[in-house]
Amino acid sequence: MKLSRRTALLGAATSIAASSSRAQGSGDSAGIQALYAAAKKEGQVGWYSGVLDQPLCDQIGQAFTKRYPGISVSAVKTTSQVAFQRLTEDLRGGTPQCDIFTSTDVGHMSYLIGKQLLVKFTAEGAAGMAKSLQDFDKQGYFQVSWVGQVALLYNTAKVSAADSPKDWPDLTDAKWKDKISFGSPNYSGIVGVWSVAMENKYGWSYFDKLNKLNPLIGRSVDDATTVLNSGERVVAAGNPSSALRSAAKGNPLAVNYPPSGMLVDLSPSAIIKGSKNPNAAKLFIEFLASAEYSQILADAFEQPLRDDVSPPKGAKSLTDVKFFSPTPEEIEKQLPANKQKWRDTFTG
Amino acid sequence: MTRSLAEPGVGPGVGSVAGRGRGRAIWRGLDLTKIISAAALLALLFLVATPVGSLVISSLRSTDTGAFTLENYVIAYWNWSDIQALGNSLLYAVEVTVLSAVFAVPLAWGVSRTDMPGKGLIQVLTLGAFITPPYLGAIAWILLAGPNAGWLNRAWMAVTGAEHGLVNIYTFSGMVVVTALYAFPYMFVFTSDALDRVSSEMEEAASILGSGGMRTIFRITLPLVLPAIIGGAIVVFLDTVALFGTPAIIALPARIKVMTLQLWQFFEFPVRAEAAAAYAIPLVLVTAALFAVQRVVLGRKGYIALTGKGGVRRPTVLGPWRWVMFAYALFVVGLAVLLPYAALAQAAFSKAWGLGFHWANLTFGNFSALLADPASRETILHSFTYSAASACFAVVLALAAAYLVSRRLGRFTKVLTALCMAPLVIPGIVLAIGFYSAWSPPPLALYGTATILVLGFTARFLPIAYVNCMAGLRSLNPEMEDAVRILGGSRTLAVTRVVVPLLKKSLVGSWLLVFIPATRELSVAIFLVAAHTRVIAMMMLDLSENGSFETLAALGFVLLLATILIVMVGYRLVGRDFMLRRS
Repeated sequence: MKLSRRTALLGAATSIAASSSRAQGSGDSAGIQALYAAAKKEGQVGWYSGVLDQPLCDQIGQAFTKRYPGISVSAVKTTSQVAFQRLTEDLRGGTPQCDIFTSTDVGHMSYLIGKQLLVKFTAEGAAGMAKSLQDFDKQGYFQVSWVGQVALLYNTAKVSAADSPKDWPDLTDAKWKDKISFGSPNYSGIVGVWSVAMENKYGWSYFDKLNKLNPLIGRSVDDATTVLNSGERVVAAGNPSSALRSAAKGNPLAVNYPPSGMLVDLSPSAIIKGSKNPNAAKLFIEFLASAEYSQILADAFEQPLRDDVSPPKGAKSLTDVKFFSPTPEEIEKQLPANKQKWRDTFTG
Repeated sequence: MTRSLAEPGVGPGVGSVAGRGRGRAIWRGLDLTKIISAAALLALLFLVATPVGSLVISSLRSTDTGAFTLENYVIAYWNWSDIQALGNSLLYAVEVTVLSAVFAVPLAWGVSRTDMPGKGLIQVLTLGAFITPPYLGAIAWILLAGPNAGWLNRAWMAVTGAEHGLVNIYTFSGMVVVTALYAFPYMFVFTSDALDRVSSEMEEAASILGSGGMRTIFRITLPLVLPAIIGGAIVVFLDTVALFGTPAIIALPARIKVMTLQLWQFFEFPVRAEAAAAYAIPLVLVTAALFAVQRVVLGRKGYIALTGKGGVRRPTVLGPWRWVMFAYALFVVGLAVLLPYAALAQAAFSKAWGLGFHWANLTFGNFSALLADPASRETILHSFTYSAASACFAVVLALAAAYLVSRRLGRFTKVLTALCMAPLVIPGIVLAIGFYSAWSPPPLALYGTATILVLGFTARFLPIAYVNCMAGLRSLNPEMEDAVRILGGSRTLAVTRVVVPLLKKSLVGSWLLVFIPATRELSVAIFLVAAHTRVIAMMMLDLSENGSFETLAALGFVLLLATILIVMVGYRLVGRDFMLRRS
């Protein structure tokens, strides 16, 4: 008790003394300073990520270690399904190898909450995140740490900006026959959420109409970028982040944010109960709410989570763009059925 | 003619002559055989039986309660579409196997037994096809034969003025061709190894007796290497059934259901890994059926090619036909390597590949960025070292197991065969869960180590090495080993001083057949990697998912060149082919 109060006081003093510098955990509140002190004893944190890519996850880990020296991050990026499967196997064996789990599928979190396998924790920094992201989890177990997006993409060498589809219903125009591409809910969580959102907005007939145009159905939401670049198809529902990243190299890709709303898939992170490094895990969740983390995202053409970090070139901030997302309840209820309906409609 | 081949070659007198040294030899031989047999069995139990066993058990357990149930099998096979998918997969595998043979056997014969020009080139490019991750090959083929923008189709339309392209990759036959182009090297390596061991004596005898060229090939040469061709066919078949990468890219847009794609649904939430296991387990029966077929086809005939007499191999002189042979070989490797890599080169050497070919768009930046990044270099190095270690383990284990089985030593030969073959047909993702749950937690606690990846790759590709070793041992006359033992040598001595040297090229072949697929294996890797044990396949997944196709294509080239280099050094180390007479 005495120790923690002293640490807290010390922390407060340091934060006043070095308010301009952000190095070594300074600038943090007393609570976070105390967390850092406890986390330092653990010395590490393990992260199973189903989002971003390995180099970016490593970069985030290094930034965390730079800010909080003495705590190393071992990030393992796989896919959400594999990360969840590994976690389930770990828990069955009684030794979770990760402290933090990040998934594109909120259903994973509901499952873990149901089994009482998550730690309740709300980061202080979460208050600084975009308003629309703050109340994703009303129970306080998980926090948005990545925003998967689906918007309209097109190949600028083959389609003029004037001709390009502006909103979701434009995709069903007969002129796009043999020219559209998107992913499949059976292989991608984000595309699954998109299918739920489109069904709620336009009814399932939206997909019947799309099917008549013989779309090229890939697996993930990112396949669209490759397909558009190859010229095999020219318009797509896909991930604007990978399209913008590719466009920044000079590729002929552009993004239209639908005026009726871009689809976002809020991807949560949570702390696993009984993990080896509970304090470092909390500190890491704090970091995922920080401006520094959002800046790393923006630099990599991903959507920053805070309004005080500007979006990447060509993208819009979450306050400037209209977006929507089905609720976790809607996703859990509709998605399994949609996978079957999808198979029936597209026979694949 | 066939009859004379059928003679096992062991004279009836051999056994009785052995009288004097027998006591000592048996004592020594049996003991060591027992020890080796026990060690091999234990290693296989650990590598294969524990993970496969844990899969079988989990397939019989309820997801929620853990109680014994058959419901996973009901879930797995309840849907007509799941059964249909399995049927499609089997058909797909049959067609790929047949087409692979059409590609591989003539090439192997051309390279190994004729005076075809450019043999080295064909051999290197065939290995190049083998090195190409099927995923990358499939994408390259989409760039070539996509119905709207594929190079071949655009060229066809430009030349003929046709409205539609010539080929459509997004069809069942498109998928079969692309898969066969990257699977035929298995059969090529098997068959050419076997052909290298056949001396020309019998072919010469046939032609002296008036048999024509074609007749000799079909009645003498090919029947002698039938075990190798069938072994290769089995490997191609099983590998195709369990293949995910190519179907994911071609079958899905083509709306074709195959088993591995259906399997994926069990990993989408709500996850039913138990049902996935149940869906995969019956494939082991398919393996068993294949081996039954193999037994029937090979029958009780003998395929001894190597005897104590030093054989000589003289290339068949094809005359002008050698150019026809070369053209066919070039056609096959052209489809598998030259054309696809030309398509990939456009991306690998572009700043922005979507812009197409322009001088201003050319760059080496993708390569230099890749090679300058320490994390990428480390990842590439990991893949090569883990795969090399796995290949060494797999070859040693496969040779031990194949020797025990083929020489009918020990009582467990059937068990050994089944154990050795199971990992190939179970789709990687299902098998990987078995590896992970068996080895990751305590008591083994191998999580995060390089060991777990090496074990995973070893177990996964052991069947390939095993089948190749079996084919090799079938061609070896046991007489030579008996001679060692008659002279007082142990069985170990017979193996190390006779079998291994005679089969060394075949063993190098086995090594490559494990090493190369291991460098690109994704499904096992994705379950077993940790922060400090990343491998190339994971890097490729990242690059494909974040849309960095330029870097991905560059990585494909790096992989191709690095592996070819390793292969060439490997063959140089093995030394000159002892049967090839220098002209």
